[in-house]
Amino acid sequence: MAYKTVDRQTLEEVKTKIQRGMLPQWAFTNHDIYERELEHIYAKTWNFIAHESEIANPGDYVTRWIVNDPILLLRDKDGQMKAYLNSCAHRGMQLCSADFGNKSTFTCPYHGWTFNQKGELIGIVAGNKVYGHEMDKSQWGLRKIPRLESYRGMIFASLNPDAESLEDFLGGMKWYFDIMLGRTTNGMEVRGVPHRWIINTNWKISSDNFGGDPYHTAMTHRSTVELGISPQDPLYASYGHQVVLENGHGINLCTTKDGGTKYPYQGLPKELWGEFEQNLTPEQRAVLYKTVVFVGSCFPNLSFVSPMHGTGGPDEPLTSFVNFRTWRPLAPDKIEVCSWLLVDKDAPESFKEASYKSYIGSFGPAGTLEQDDGEIWTRVVDASKGYMIQHKDVHYDNVLNYIMGLDRVEPDESWPGPGVAYPTCYLDAISRAFYEQWVDMLLASEA
Amino acid sequence: MRLRTKKEGNVVSQLYDEVRDFLHREAFLIDNRRFGEWLDLLGETLVYRMPLRVTREKSAGSDIVEEMTFLEENKRSLITRVHRLNTTSAWAEDPPSRTRHFITNIFVEPVADDEVQVTSYFLMLRSRGSKEEVEQIFGERHDVLKKVDSSWKLTYRTIYPDQSVLGIRNISNFL
Ligand code: FES
Ligand SMILES: [Fe+2]
Repeated sequence: MAYKTVDRQTLEEVKTKIQRGMLPQWAFTNHDIYERELEHIYAKTWNFIAHESEIANPGDYVTRWIVNDPILLLRDKDGQMKAYLNSCAHRGMQLCSADFGNKSTFTCPYHGWTFNQKGELIGIVAGNKVYGHEMDKSQWGLRKIPRLESYRGMIFASLNPDAESLEDFLGGMKWYFDIMLGRTTNGMEVRGVPHRWIINTNWKISSDNFGGDPYHTAMTHRSTVELGISPQDPLYASYGHQVVLENGHGINLCTTKDGGTKYPYQGLPKELWGEFEQNLTPEQRAVLYKTVVFVGSCFPNLSFVSPMHGTGGPDEPLTSFVNFRTWRPLAPDKIEVCSWLLVDKDAPESFKEASYKSYIGSFGPAGTLEQDDGEIWTRVVDASKGYMIQHKDVHYDNVLNYIMGLDRVEPDESWPGPGVAYPTCYLDAISRAFYEQWVDMLLASEA
Repeated sequence: MRLRTKKEGNVVSQLYDEVRDFLHREAFLIDNRRFGEWLDLLGETLVYRMPLRVTREKSAGSDIVEEMTFLEENKRSLITRVHRLNTTSAWAEDPPSRTRHFITNIFVEPVADDEVQVTSYFLMLRSRGSKEEVEQIFGERHDVLKKVDSSWKLTYRTIYPDQSVLGIRNISNFL
């Protein structure tokens, strides 16, 4: 049976394959797998939804999605963050259809019920005339998103009331988030609003690409090599460490070949270096000092990249930026990308401006690097739908290759940060861990 | 160019014809991947921007966010983009997209003897590979054209897309 329902035994086999560095290609496009992912991964885990600077003031709100659940996230007049289902408790109308704004109350356009920032139902059109004892307003407030927590300004929500704490979920990733997001005293802010666009690919392909695939840069982004922006050395993205963290997270800390750098601290302005000393440990500072690119993923679908990039040509100065993005699943073969530019609040305006230009020129949807990523992820999915690829029982071995470094590359015990750090970024260790977490969560549902 | 006032309808319509021809020629060059010739239409001090469109309540005011853009380019960076497309490894355009830029609703306002402000609507349809599905992007452009050595050059362009979530895998074409 080619399109048979995925069962426990199939998933066990998949897990064994992943551990041996192989992933069945049908995992990208199988509908049954997709439905299970929504239920057993996205509805169970923590999902990044916004940065605190997007709702800096009382009454500020943004509307976001956890896959297909509409989220209304706001800061109430007491300064507390609140997250509700953005769907009216009366007949389910989408309460707020704007992307962002500032409001003290939300009135539903359908029948006019009004809710305050605490989610309480405070107004019913013709309330006294149509409802009597059967209406207890306190029972009909906006439905709360079960969990809402933030770390270093990054706001995550979970539909699972029993989810572990966000800090436990992030685990060792916090140490690296501190370097990117907590190095300056006043933290980061989002510039403008995030870019959003659609790519016809599967969310795992983009998560895996950012999480564990520096190997692709030399070829996918070869145009920048031809332009003289990126180095000629095909190993240029391999130098540094690939760090496997718990819960399917992973980060690559790419350096130059000899570990030296012309641009200490990613070329961040000297004015900020003193703040690094206040906010980071000596080990974190040493990592920030020499790292050229931070790139990785937080399971399941939050990825980030902080490189130094230029857009004008080989003689143009390179500027670093911090870009976080989510891959929201819309279908097995479709995602909505939401991509935020973050910048240190304490940085000088001139740097913020250069950082913005560096980001849009490279990793915005028109960016010279992003363009080719999106193209390639689309082509992976285009080639993953057929009978031969979907078939699970036929004799050919229906798997993709994730064996790089398997049983060969040993961890670097001297690495100062958390996680298992391997002394090269050309490695499928993070990808294998990502897919193992993925299959374990699907298997947990079979228990 | 002689005097251009609303009264002298024939002169205004000649100006309109010139601007329309400029925009159509530009679209033709881009769609035919004659990017080198397209660059010749751009003034040296060109500012070329594409801000974000967002969804906001009517009472909240503008639905354009100028602080974040899809493109914030000058002539030099556009030359780099063209160079990139001319490398052997710009996969987003290799195999090349087939594109059609439809430029309509052209409205020309003379602001000086040698300068006009132009608004136009654009629709770019894009076909990639053998897929029947059409990628599209559409919106409005605000341009400034200046006459330099008796030919028009684009010196300012702001592109306002109409979608807050672009339904396109990337922006690898010029708009
Ligand atoms: S659906 Fe909201 S008031 Fe009826
Ligand atoms: Fe890439």
